[in-house]
Amino acid sequence: MLHIANMVRAARARRRARFDDREARGMTLLREWLSPQQLWQLEAYNYFEVTGCDSGTRYRIKHGVSTNVVELDRHGRALMGWCFIPQGNLVAGDVMLAQKIALETDERGALAIAKQFLVPPRPPTFPAPP
Amino acid sequence: MATHIIMDHSGDTRHHFDVRDEKALADAERRFKALTGAGFTAATRQANGEISLARSFDPNAEETVFYPRLVGG
Repeated sequence: MLHIANMVRAARARRRARFDDREARGMTLLREWLSPQQLWQLEAYNYFEVTGCDSGTRYRIKHGVSTNVVELDRHGRALMGWCFIPQGNLVAGDVMLAQKIALETDERGALAIAKQFLVPPRPPTFPAPP
Repeated sequence: MATHIIMDHSGDTRHHFDVRDEKALADAERRFKALTGAGFTAATRQANGEISLARSFDPNAEETVFYPRLVGG
């Protein structure tokens, strides 16, 4: 019984290692293609911002594989979410890079296929008194 | 050396080729056409970091990334 448990644990560890390796490869590719400013944002905040090539709108791309693109207003506040992803079971780094390229080179095309989602309003900077 | 980077379930697969090698260049052009024909988007990065879509095979592009067709999530 103990032997089987050890085998299961080992199989899980191998699967986890493969997943981590894929994730790392995706993040490496993303880092290679980000601008220095975007790379700085990613390291500091786990997101980066891009400018849409057609409208000049700013978007924030957060680490993730879905519902991770948010349109910003001129004050940097979230206005609307846009969900579009490359087909297939891609890792976060690949998904984020595809979203960046799409918005920077074919914003209209990306938004045409994207699904919108509401983003929760930001909490007030100073909580209201009880 | 030029590189084709294809996003896939493993993270990515990289194909390096010498643009002075005619056979390697022909293989790269075939790969480009096969991928874009299958719905992949190709993008190249310039030396200044600017990214542009590649509608046709560019033998002078040092690095081309391919990602699958986008869909609404």
